[in-house]
Amino acid sequence: MNIDPIVGIPPAAAGALSAQAGEAQGETFSKFGTWFGQQIAEVNGQLQRADANLQQLALGDANNLHQVMINLEEAKLSFQLLMQVRNRALEAYQEIMRMQV
Amino acid sequence: MDYSQAFEISASGMTVEKLRIDLTAVNIANMHTTAGADGTLFRPLRVVSRPGAQNFAGLFEDGSESSVYKLRGAQVFAVQEMTTAPRMVYEPGNPSADATGFVALPGVDHVSEMVNLIAALRAYEANVVAMNAAKNMAVKALEIGGNQ
Amino acid sequence: MIQEIDTATMGVLRLALDAASLRHRVIAHNIANANTEGFAPLRVNFEDQFDAVRSAIGQGQPIERGLLDGLRPTILQDAPLDGGATAKVALDMEVARLAQNTVHYQALLRGATKHLSILGIAVTEGKR
Repeated sequence: MNIDPIVGIPPAAAGALSAQAGEAQGETFSKFGTWFGQQIAEVNGQLQRADANLQQLALGDANNLHQVMINLEEAKLSFQLLMQVRNRALEAYQEIMRMQV
Repeated sequence: MDYSQAFEISASGMTVEKLRIDLTAVNIANMHTTAGADGTLFRPLRVVSRPGAQNFAGLFEDGSESSVYKLRGAQVFAVQEMTTAPRMVYEPGNPSADATGFVALPGVDHVSEMVNLIAALRAYEANVVAMNAAKNMAVKALEIGGNQ
Repeated sequence: MIQEIDTATMGVLRLALDAASLRHRVIAHNIANANTEGFAPLRVNFEDQFDAVRSAIGQGQPIERGLLDGLRPTILQDAPLDGGATAKVALDMEVARLAQNTVHYQALLRGATKHLSILGIAVTEGKR
């Protein structure tokens, strides 16, 4: 899944935005991109761990049944949250792209 | 798996208690038997059980908390003959009577055997309750996250 | 087509579910023959074959699909405990094994359901 980082609006094109607010928003946008990339890696790790746990359960090596179930459920919820954040970000991007110049 | 360990532990307890009940039944059945053809009198039997561990020596070497997972419930250590004195009953007409008319019967204490029987039965039931509780816990753990 | 983006988890789960249902049939067979003379109880041996898979999981590597081919649960006769001629069926032990196997089967099914629902989230993009 390739997510383009949301490009900060250059202060020159901001118009009504003050220069300070424009710079602050430029920083925030790049931080969001970095943060989102980190979150994707973290959710991926969670999903892989839940997968390995499930395989251990199938082989009879699991130490803890409830821990396996909890990891699985947490991974699923994290993934759902990630999907929703991704959907909202995409919607926002598309809305911005739809703006008449 | 932790729940399979719980099943194994309860199963080992049930095995020990079942043997105890069997030996109590043997003792009670032989309460009035006289000496056999070889002259030996029946001696009451009892079970000696001890905590079972997969590797008893390893429990002390490995001091980490995973050592508690090596416990395996109970196991039968030995089946011993008790050295109680035989009961002497005065029955002069009995073919097994000795010169003074006394017959030697096994030293099986009826009352304590009944107490052992009841105690072993309750322990067996308690092990079954523990196993059912472990099974219910595992089934409940599967409900984490709801029916999705 | 879902196998293209899935790991080998479903394959391992499928094998384990097969073993669990075979185990159920074997235990029911033992219970039905509890009073048959000369009947030795049977067991299902499965988990021992998994050493290659186990080491792959332990090292954090994804499991190759070829590792799972050819793994089949085997049915063995029980060895007698006290060195007698044949082992006997202990009915309470068989019922206990049945309960444990049932819980294990349910756990595997729940795990498989959750795993597939996670894939479903990816496929439907989080929309119902």
